[in-house]
Amino acid sequence: MSISETMQSTARDLLISGQVQRVIGFEASPRGRVRPAIIDRPEEAERLVWSADCTHNLTVYLQRALNRDNGHASREPATPPARVAIVVKPCDSRAINVLLAEHQFSREQVFAIGMACEGIRQGAPASAPEATLQERCLRCRERVPVVHDVLLGEPPSALPEALPDEALAHVRGLPPAERAAFWLNQFDRCIRCYACRQTCPMCNCPTCLFEQEDALWVGMRIAPSEKRAFHLGRALHLAGRCVGCNECERVCPMGIPIGLLNRHLAETVESLYGHRAGMQAVLSPVTGMLSAEESAP
Amino acid sequence: MKTLSRENLNLWLDGLAAQQSLIAPHLEAQGVFYRPVQRAQEIAWEADRPALSAKEFLFPPSERLLKVEKRGPDIRLEVSPSAAPQAIFGLRPCDARGIRVMDAAFLETPPIDSQYASRRENTLLLGLACRSMGASCFCTIMGLAPDDPRDMDVMFTDRGPTLAVQALTPRGEALLAGLPIVEEPGEVEPASRREVGGLPTAEAWKESFGDARWAKHGERCLSCRLCAYVCPTCRCYDVRDEALPSPPGEAHFERLRAWDSCTREGYRLTAGGHNPRAAAGSRLRNRLLCKFVYYPHQYGPAACTGCGRCLDACPVNLDLLEIGGALQEAAQ
Ligand code: SF4
Ligand code: SF4
Ligand code: SF4
Ligand code: SF4
Repeated sequence: MSISETMQSTARDLLISGQVQRVIGFEASPRGRVRPAIIDRPEEAERLVWSADCTHNLTVYLQRALNRDNGHASREPATPPARVAIVVKPCDSRAINVLLAEHQFSREQVFAIGMACEGIRQGAPASAPEATLQERCLRCRERVPVVHDVLLGEPPSALPEALPDEALAHVRGLPPAERAAFWLNQFDRCIRCYACRQTCPMCNCPTCLFEQEDALWVGMRIAPSEKRAFHLGRALHLAGRCVGCNECERVCPMGIPIGLLNRHLAETVESLYGHRAGMQAVLSPVTGMLSAEESAP
Repeated sequence: MKTLSRENLNLWLDGLAAQQSLIAPHLEAQGVFYRPVQRAQEIAWEADRPALSAKEFLFPPSERLLKVEKRGPDIRLEVSPSAAPQAIFGLRPCDARGIRVMDAAFLETPPIDSQYASRRENTLLLGLACRSMGASCFCTIMGLAPDDPRDMDVMFTDRGPTLAVQALTPRGEALLAGLPIVEEPGEVEPASRREVGGLPTAEAWKESFGDARWAKHGERCLSCRLCAYVCPTCRCYDVRDEALPSPPGEAHFERLRAWDSCTREGYRLTAGGHNPRAAAGSRLRNRLLCKFVYYPHQYGPAACTGCGRCLDACPVNLDLLEIGGALQEAAQ
């Protein structure tokens, strides 16, 4: 049985036995692009695929499916499913841990179909067969999802040497003025389409700080100061939470290296606190928590 | 056919860039974008369709409509000045049509949008025919062609050492006057076309309103605005008054508008908190039905030029041709 067939039968069994009411996985479009598939009926399971083009981090769909209380209630189907199965790569599975720590849903509500991952190709979701692996995958040494209820595929016994993060070392090595100029130039390309935010499982605020109706903090202009506020603010909100799936960078129409900024924060948090987002279901040390008296009005 | 040598065209473009803002496809590390260029040499001639349309030069991502200055009892209103002249060279037929589509709402249906009108008045549309259609292009379904000159002031067709030139408007003719244009025998070679599968009729799109598939598509849609922001015809905007830094004793504000899209969650939020388009699928449906039903009904042209950008850009592959194709099959 091919891995896609194993995945299909796993999904089918889960739906037929009623263990889950929904499966979030991948399918191939008629034009050959791999994309998210959300299926509720066993006979739809045959659509599911697994390949080195399954680049999306599907956990962005988990809260919408499960959490009635996150301000997105309007998006929900009439009766939200009690339990959802989701296909996760090792990086994606870390997002589940972050969201569990943040009480977005409970562990019992999720059935994680973990994939032994050997990396995703460049150009995914529609890469040429001979395409090389994405750089983030060349830097990654995780082959088994930290959260999984079933593991599909064989994790390789020997891992290739992880690639050092040269882009990050380079930008960190720039003199401060040059580094600032580099980032500001990148941010200024932004068109505030919010694709990065919408595709991010961790950007789950019911109302984003950068899109308040009252413009008290950040205005509506699609202009440099607002763009900079958005990028710097978002990066800080993701410190210790970003799992490095790189979806934000993949979807950005302007080619802004958002992942590079997030890696800078992730490495800073790791070196200061020894924390790597989502390796366990614990909160980011940078996330503020108000104690009882502080949160009183 | 009238032709102009590449050398003379470049000289002319250099001259144009010295007098006014010249916008053209430009190759950057992140892809090809319409950008202001200083010289003809900076133009990406061989490039595919730019990643974003050229609409931002007529309908900028955000702009001030009005400035308000309050000094004690005095209130001063300042309307923004009129636009400076600009020329867009290397414009694709689908992007020129996008501008014509915006004209229908901003210029041809009262009230006239004065900001848009002043930019439009000051913008020359200098087209460059596509040699062939890209993988996701479907301009032919929308009644255009890769070498369609109709919406341009001047249309150029690249023939290697020379370019065929055709003036389409009096403005275009005036622009070409005095150029060393050569009359050559023969006609311009038409661009190669690819027939693409059909889209539903306006009637069939309309009848799809209650189709259960919209909710299914909505489950996948991320409710970003990428599809609308890359689109040459999506022209929704939000208007807001924001405070400006003011000298002591004064209060300055600006009324500004910025791009918006019906695909975002709060687009139809009303006072009191009701959201008639709370479901993502209903917003996605609105975007497509606006293109093929509502906009043509209200303003005339279909609000899609077949550029195919939203097909390529959508992070989760919501594909207008696929969605429409399935609806059409069901309608037959
Ligand atoms: S950018 Fe910050 S405020 Fe906005 S959704 Fe993400 S985490 Fe929330
Ligand atoms: S996806 Fe890119 S252009 Fe869009 S808001 Fe994010 S950074 Fe800006
Ligand atoms: S709807 Fe899509 S294909 Fe049509 S004009 Fe807009 S971006 Fe292009
Ligand atoms: S259709 Fe695609 S690009 Fe458009 S809002 Fe939905 S996810 Fe974003």
